[in-house]
Amino acid sequence: MIGLLRQLSWPELRHHPWRNAAALVAVMLGVALAFSVHLINASALAEFGAAVRAVNGEADLTLVGPRGGFDEALYGTVAAAPGVAVASPVVEAETFAFDAAGARVPIRLVGLDALVVAHVAPALLPRPRSGEQRLSVLDPDAVFLNAAAERRLGGAATTLVLQTAAGRRTLRIAGTVGAGGPPLVVVDIAGAQVALGHIGKLSRIDVRLAPGADRAATLAALQLPPGVRAAAPSEASDRISNVSRAYRVNLTVLALVAMFTGAFLVFSILALSVAQRVQSLALLAVLGLTARQRLGLVLAESALLGAAGSVLGLALGAALAAIALRLFGGDLGGGYFPGVAPALRFDAAAAVGYGLLGIVAALVGGWLPARSAQRIAPAQALKGLGMTATPRAPGFIGIALLALGALLATLPPVFEIPLAAYGSVALLLIGGIACVPGGVGLALAAVPEPRRALALLAVERARHQRASATIAVAGVVASLALSVALTVMVASFRDAVTRWLDVVLPADLYVRAAVGPASGDVATLPERLPEAARAIAGVVRAEAQRVVAVSLNPRRPQAALLARSIGDPVTSLPLTGELVAAPAGAIAAYVSEAVVDLYGATPGSTLTLPLPDGSRASVFVRGVWRDYARQYGAIVIERADWLRLGGDRRINDIAMWLAPGASTAQVEDALRRLATEQGYDASLLEFAAPREIRATSLRIFDRSFAVTYWLQAVAIAIGLFGIAASFSAQVLARRKEFGLLAHLGLTRRQILAVVAAEGAVWTGVGAGLGLILGIAVSVVLVKVVNPQSFHWTMELLLPEARLAALCAAVVAAGTVTAFLSARRAVGAQSVLAVKEDW
Amino acid sequence: MAEPVLDIAGLAKRYGASTVFEGVDLVLGAGEFVAVVGESGVGKSTVLNCAAGLDTIDAGRVRVAGTDIHALGESAQAVFRRHHLGFVFQAFHVLPHLTVAANVGLPLLLQDAPDPMRVSAMLSAVGLAGFEARLPHTLSGGQLQRVAIARALVHRPKLILADEPTGNLDPATAERVLSLLVEQVREHGATCLLATHSRAAAARADRSVTLTPSGIVA
Repeated sequence: MIGLLRQLSWPELRHHPWRNAAALVAVMLGVALAFSVHLINASALAEFGAAVRAVNGEADLTLVGPRGGFDEALYGTVAAAPGVAVASPVVEAETFAFDAAGARVPIRLVGLDALVVAHVAPALLPRPRSGEQRLSVLDPDAVFLNAAAERRLGGAATTLVLQTAAGRRTLRIAGTVGAGGPPLVVVDIAGAQVALGHIGKLSRIDVRLAPGADRAATLAALQLPPGVRAAAPSEASDRISNVSRAYRVNLTVLALVAMFTGAFLVFSILALSVAQRVQSLALLAVLGLTARQRLGLVLAESALLGAAGSVLGLALGAALAAIALRLFGGDLGGGYFPGVAPALRFDAAAAVGYGLLGIVAALVGGWLPARSAQRIAPAQALKGLGMTATPRAPGFIGIALLALGALLATLPPVFEIPLAAYGSVALLLIGGIACVPGGVGLALAAVPEPRRALALLAVERARHQRASATIAVAGVVASLALSVALTVMVASFRDAVTRWLDVVLPADLYVRAAVGPASGDVATLPERLPEAARAIAGVVRAEAQRVVAVSLNPRRPQAALLARSIGDPVTSLPLTGELVAAPAGAIAAYVSEAVVDLYGATPGSTLTLPLPDGSRASVFVRGVWRDYARQYGAIVIERADWLRLGGDRRINDIAMWLAPGASTAQVEDALRRLATEQGYDASLLEFAAPREIRATSLRIFDRSFAVTYWLQAVAIAIGLFGIAASFSAQVLARRKEFGLLAHLGLTRRQILAVVAAEGAVWTGVGAGLGLILGIAVSVVLVKVVNPQSFHWTMELLLPEARLAALCAAVVAAGTVTAFLSARRAVGAQSVLAVKEDW
Repeated sequence: MAEPVLDIAGLAKRYGASTVFEGVDLVLGAGEFVAVVGESGVGKSTVLNCAAGLDTIDAGRVRVAGTDIHALGESAQAVFRRHHLGFVFQAFHVLPHLTVAANVGLPLLLQDAPDPMRVSAMLSAVGLAGFEARLPHTLSGGQLQRVAIARALVHRPKLILADEPTGNLDPATAERVLSLLVEQVREHGATCLLATHSRAAAARADRSVTLTPSGIVA
């Protein structure tokens, strides 16, 4: 086989270097994309996991409490308990620091006892810088930064401005800590309790057990108070993995789509190559090359292309991953691992796996051309009668695949990943393509024999060569289906978000102090500010909102609890269905779709909410609303209910309705003044009008989905390249036919018109089928993949004008491509093709 | 005197600095069957291509039925061929996806004058009655060449250009096909220029001329 490759394939490769380079590049890009996504994800997860382990330490036992913390008196009990060697108390929260330019930097504040932390979490042990006293580790005003915080806030800074419960607070930077991961600041526990407003409270206690002590027995002996529990060892890593899983899976699927398109390009190019070499292969068959050897030869060529593409792809993927990690972080800007800048961790096993995947993709792409090389009938090919017709798969296979695809779309997610839905998308695409020959055959059977020569030539050729024409059409179907699906999905999502923003932003002006629920306990507004706001001239109404992160399952990311004035939920919430009447005395809650999916909180059911004091309260789920802002769930209850349940009075946002003609700027100034009068640092207030929020949200949306436009462009380009290669192959195979037609009196223009018309018809058929398949795939993406991945639903929107323009552009491009392919073949030399004996 | 069907005068063909032939003069009258013989590579097929307007000429002129074919534009040449010329090739050249009848009827269809009766009659004349619906890959080489002969004559062209029509056939089949070609050409009153290196084939012609680089030798 090596001899055959050297003698037969190498000259072919050298004769068409650019074409083969295109196939190699396609495989390379597919492997590079898939491998880089894997490396980025793996590096980010490893780095984030290491950071969490560094912060959590090497505790044998971690006692955690409710979000508001638990009484620090428990620490004394735990530290003195038999079986406990060391107990390390911790207070922690997410807040913000301010960099030299005054910009907010998300940061984790960890308060600890420096005298015991070394036994449990050595990475958090404060290291005073030179000039600082050793006892500065106990100074409540001295902070120690990790490397990420130093980098982000400036290594030379001597002070750190921190947003605390009481406003900005300036602390002295006294040294560093070794913990990696996102920006983190360590302070003595007393300082942290003050800064976070957690006086007398702890967030957790890390415990090292004495040698031989039994974990369960020690726990039982501790008799933990309500709301305090021992966290399972894998809780933190599970939570991290859950945070980004859907995002990672979707990225990986996109990368696999790139691999699929690479396989298609290999297919197109090898089909062309085999078509060009059909007579050489026929001659070799006459000389003794068996059908199996011809199959093996083309497969070996595919494998070589795949192997070369894979090797280059792995190198490119590693380089891309390194660059992406440096430029965009471990989540490619997705916001799941904020502040983490992981180093690249090369994974040799994954490299082998993805390399093999590239070779398999190339072999899949090369299979049909190899089979057609295997099936060459030498005598017929040498007589100039072309290749034997490709045996057609039975028509029911395509229909069966489509039916199976539809069935898979109805299945639930597997391990919370929409694997069945992705399988459905793949089967719909493959089944749709498999239906092309049968569908075209049925359509052609109804066409009477044309009475015009050009039409006769086109129709009869279509009848007899529809399997090979399917090859050309397959590219259009696959690429257009992907493009249509992405277009419909993005348009549906954007439309849904736009309409959602209209409902969730009813007020004229919003003011807030916190960016997200994670920092909601620190970045708060004065409790009496809403009341004062109502007195401002031009303010008709002002409503406060409290945002609290609640853990409904410790292995899952926290959900957001929004306590606010609801009024009529039908108008104030983007409900997805009917409301259920709450029983008398029950506390009504309105949950986002994610809460239904993740926790089974359907309307009419009861949901148990953890409260800040560690107790739990049952709320009645009245209805479900759409929330595109919080993937892990949100629960809305009346603020009055929240306060009655024992919730704190702190607030994070105020929504203000203004009188007609009221000046927004004057209202903002007045509110700043009032905040200052209430002892609040007014510079921490952030104002936003709905129009700005809406514009910013849609800008972020468009930026996030910009990659899909590139993906569409690449898919269409590959589809057109496939058409060009397939038409070139067909046109080459028909060179004698064109030569004969020239002898018989067809003008060059007529021959070109036939081929261009065939191109238009076939691309049109492909576009029609691609459109139908694309819409079917978009239904699966919008109605199944999205809810299963991100736990939100949306209505399907078909942007008819854009889809029509997309189809028209593809048909036009396909026609031009066919025309250009034919032009080369019907040049002046084409008439000489009839002189070729073989 | 009747106008010659083919009138070649002073024809020359060069590829760059290399002259294939020059000074070729050849006149074929109506109904005449002339064989052009010559060594391989001397340019017999090129003469035929030049006669059909399928190849450019470097000197001289070619008139077919009084029309200077090289004075026509590309489209006009094609239309001229459609009506006045018929071709028979060494490698048959039938369209694999068309039936035998469709292949034979193609020249009529190109003239927008389909005539299934004439196609059937033509197929009967070449001994292929009943083969109308067959596809080319089911035929033998001899049968394929009969199809090609039927196609060359079905539209009653003035001039048949036959380029080594028996080159791919065994001697017995070649003899039968050649007889058929001669018979049909005569029956249709067509003029035929046959390029061949077969002395047996040339012997069936009314006269035989030899092509040399410096012209035609009678």
